[in-house]
Amino acid sequence: MIVSPRLHIVASSLAILVLGVGAVLVAQSVGAASERILTVFFISLIGVVGIGIYTGNSGILSFGHVAFMGIGAYAASILTLPVPLKTATLPKLPDWLATTQLDLVSATVIAVAFTAVVALVIGLAIGRLEGSAAVIATLGLLIIVHGVIIGWRDVTRGAQSFFGVPRDTGVWTAAIGCIIALLVARFYRDSISGLRLRAGREDAISAGAVGVNIRRERLIAWVLSAAVMALAGALLAHFLGAFSAKKFYFPDTFLLLAMLIVGGMSTVTGAITGAVVITLVTEFLRRLESGFSIAGFDMPPVLGTAQIGIGLIILFAMFRKADGLAGKKEWEERVFHSSADVAESPELRGLQEDTTLRAKNLTMRFGGLTAVDDVSLSVAPGEIVGLIGPNGSGKTTYLNMLSGILSPSEGRVMRGDEDLTGLSSPQVASRGIARTFQNIRLFRDLSVHQNVLVAALSTKGGDDARARAHRAIARMGLAEKAAEDAGTLSYGDQRRVEIARALACQPSILFLDEPAAGMNREETAALMEQLRGLTRDLGIGILLVDHDLHLINQLCDRIAVLNEGHMIAEGSPAEIRRDPQVIEAYLGPGKEH
Amino acid sequence: MKHLLISTAMAAGLALPAAAETLTVGVATAQTGALAPFDAPVMEGVMIAVDEINDAGGIGGDTKIELIQKDVRSDAAQTSIAVQELADQGVSALILPCDADPSLAAIGIVSSAQIPAISTCASSPTLPEIGGEYMFANFPGDNVQATVSASWAWDQGHRTGYIIYSPDTQYTTMPLYFADVFEELGGEMLGRDTHTIGQQDFSAIATRIAALDPQPDVIMTSSYEPDFPSLIKALRAAGVESQIIGSDGIDSPTTFSLGEVAEGLVFTTAGHPTEGSELEAFNEKYEARYNKPPETVFNAVGYDLIKVLEAAVEAAGSTDPQELRDALANLENVQGATSLITYKGTNGMPVREVSLVRVKDGERELVAQPTPDPDLIPAPRMQ
Repeated sequence: MIVSPRLHIVASSLAILVLGVGAVLVAQSVGAASERILTVFFISLIGVVGIGIYTGNSGILSFGHVAFMGIGAYAASILTLPVPLKTATLPKLPDWLATTQLDLVSATVIAVAFTAVVALVIGLAIGRLEGSAAVIATLGLLIIVHGVIIGWRDVTRGAQSFFGVPRDTGVWTAAIGCIIALLVARFYRDSISGLRLRAGREDAISAGAVGVNIRRERLIAWVLSAAVMALAGALLAHFLGAFSAKKFYFPDTFLLLAMLIVGGMSTVTGAITGAVVITLVTEFLRRLESGFSIAGFDMPPVLGTAQIGIGLIILFAMFRKADGLAGKKEWEERVFHSSADVAESPELRGLQEDTTLRAKNLTMRFGGLTAVDDVSLSVAPGEIVGLIGPNGSGKTTYLNMLSGILSPSEGRVMRGDEDLTGLSSPQVASRGIARTFQNIRLFRDLSVHQNVLVAALSTKGGDDARARAHRAIARMGLAEKAAEDAGTLSYGDQRRVEIARALACQPSILFLDEPAAGMNREETAALMEQLRGLTRDLGIGILLVDHDLHLINQLCDRIAVLNEGHMIAEGSPAEIRRDPQVIEAYLGPGKEH
Repeated sequence: MKHLLISTAMAAGLALPAAAETLTVGVATAQTGALAPFDAPVMEGVMIAVDEINDAGGIGGDTKIELIQKDVRSDAAQTSIAVQELADQGVSALILPCDADPSLAAIGIVSSAQIPAISTCASSPTLPEIGGEYMFANFPGDNVQATVSASWAWDQGHRTGYIIYSPDTQYTTMPLYFADVFEELGGEMLGRDTHTIGQQDFSAIATRIAALDPQPDVIMTSSYEPDFPSLIKALRAAGVESQIIGSDGIDSPTTFSLGEVAEGLVFTTAGHPTEGSELEAFNEKYEARYNKPPETVFNAVGYDLIKVLEAAVEAAGSTDPQELRDALANLENVQGATSLITYKGTNGMPVREVSLVRVKDGERELVAQPTPDPDLIPAPRMQ
């Protein structure tokens, strides 16, 4: 399913088709040399979007994708190499392989599938890594695959040239491959998986809290991007006719990454922009390499100009356009502003389940520090429970244990008969328990609508997701702002988007961590009204953490007070106001209220 | 796409159309990367020959030589791209990189464009064999060099041998030919070791050889920079005193600056400036132009290449690629700077003189310029 407006997808697909076909027609009218430049450009572009599918959507820079290009190139070439040449140059191939000779299309399909399987295995292994460890792992992948290609002489001719591959990739073949790759990349970006992955890129913790299993989405993107790289490799091999392991190593990795970085990693528009800019500049500089004369001035041949040029462009991009020339939006997203359609949104459904959430004797220790010590608390649907306490008293830690972000050192979290202790945050979210965060964790570069839609898509099996998202947006009064980027909203609105995002999970229990922080009096009053509505109309149980005692007193049915990790009081607002221990914890000893 | 058009139009403007009295030669050589130590000196020699011919009015007094140069960075894929561009520009002949590996990358284009192509200094006899009728070499073949050095070793009374080779390129497998010839003559191979190109540490191989009892009389390798200096130092440091035989890849200034470890080293190469020889005359031209003495035979090899093209144009009476190829394939006894060069009767691997050179006091000393026994020369093979 595609999550972006149909207009965007149609406009983008048409543009890709028209540009691709148009470029070929123009190049054909100019001559053979420009056809070849265009062919190389198309193949590079396939590689760029291939890396972009993974790197752009996941935010993890991959240095390893050119390895998949190499695997695709060798796999396809071994299948298309004419049998007599194959027996002469690769005498130790197994018989079934030595006697196989396929056409380019079948060989490419097999090579792409083979590479996808290899990528799946590798992805399962390195998918656990996060951040810079993941980036370095991709670097290791490049080096290892290069080593395997060099070492597996019987199949790859080792470090020697692999030559004699039929030169079947013409400009139309490359154009078709490129159009397919661009469409795959464009569709993936706005697929459910792509949207989830981009949410994870923006904020992994809150993506988990709305039900996104980031590792699974990363693996999907990894395998898909590896398949696209294999397509690029197969076409390149059959364009060049000869290559060696060096072709699929650092120089080309940097060339493709340069295109991706210069253009903008997270969009197909960016990939195209980067590939065009770098290709034009290198083609121009490469021609200067042979020397030229302008106005009677003879420039001698300067070899290596192209590489220096690429290096300078990367430096420029790093300094001036960190998000790339195309930024973080597709061109069609800029041109056609979508009005997310939230007009007809029937009310959020009431609850089906009304089981109380009970946390029993939760304890959290970080090394020698006990952040939360033996605290039990229950939240029933339809009630609002306040959790207060001075800074550092363990409130957020407690919420993190309840929502699956932390696993408690001791104690259990029960929902009826179901034990939720130790479940991951996506698993907790899928059981109707949603939350917001103290320091706002929105997917800043996604629209309000997308922020909320990700949550709806990733919980309750994604059923009825659009309607749930629309209702949540409407309920928090954000319909007007649905198309805006979440990161551009005011502080109060961002808080509301977080609540809407949590609501889209259709929760029966909602944890709100300081929802009114940074809001003015009117905004706070409006928020209180909205929260009351949630319990009244939908029967949602709310666990509210806040410093604003006025808000807590007004809103809560029950209040629990934490101090230094211990629960020091629990009761109705009136009881808490009179509790001497609470007064002491908040105002210091010896000062009666 | 408009920009693409503009850049292409500019490109077309930069490449001058070949006039009737011009021999346009596409030069796709490795000016950077691992093969640059060979292709760069070759191009110096090429420029001497081109300027010499053009200053005299051109080939046969009317056909000027024009070079279109591209750097292929010692890379197969880049060679393919550069050669395709040169073929698109309608060159009459192509000059390909030293070493068979990148040159093989061009075979598809060379054959379909039907333009004769000469590798600057590839010595693998498999290059013209697999490359087809448009592919030519410009250097004594690996199998011929190995026959010369193995025969010399046998004649010196050496009876046991050891080879160190790298399967990474065709050229670095020359010791396998050496072993064939040496065994054919009656010698005994005590062992074979392989290494990878760019391997820095040869201590394991050196230790293995030093532990042999008795020690091999000769050790043959065709490894070159940066491997060869490390290899010979490791062998000598391990106490191995066997005669070491190398090949043309170490005909470089580095070899002569290694000092004590390289003393007595013998290698095969394409020529030696004996008194009154063409090579001596070439070396004077080189010194006059570049204000330094030539330090490698590859300068002269570049000169040879242009002399071969000149002879082919004269024989063909045309710069048409097909006629040039046919003329080139039938050239006999072209006088180059290093040797007489004959293509007639070969598959593109020229018959040329092989010189055996010894390093003595850091200088080159001619050992012999023998004609190898044709019956001993092993057949070319991919290995």
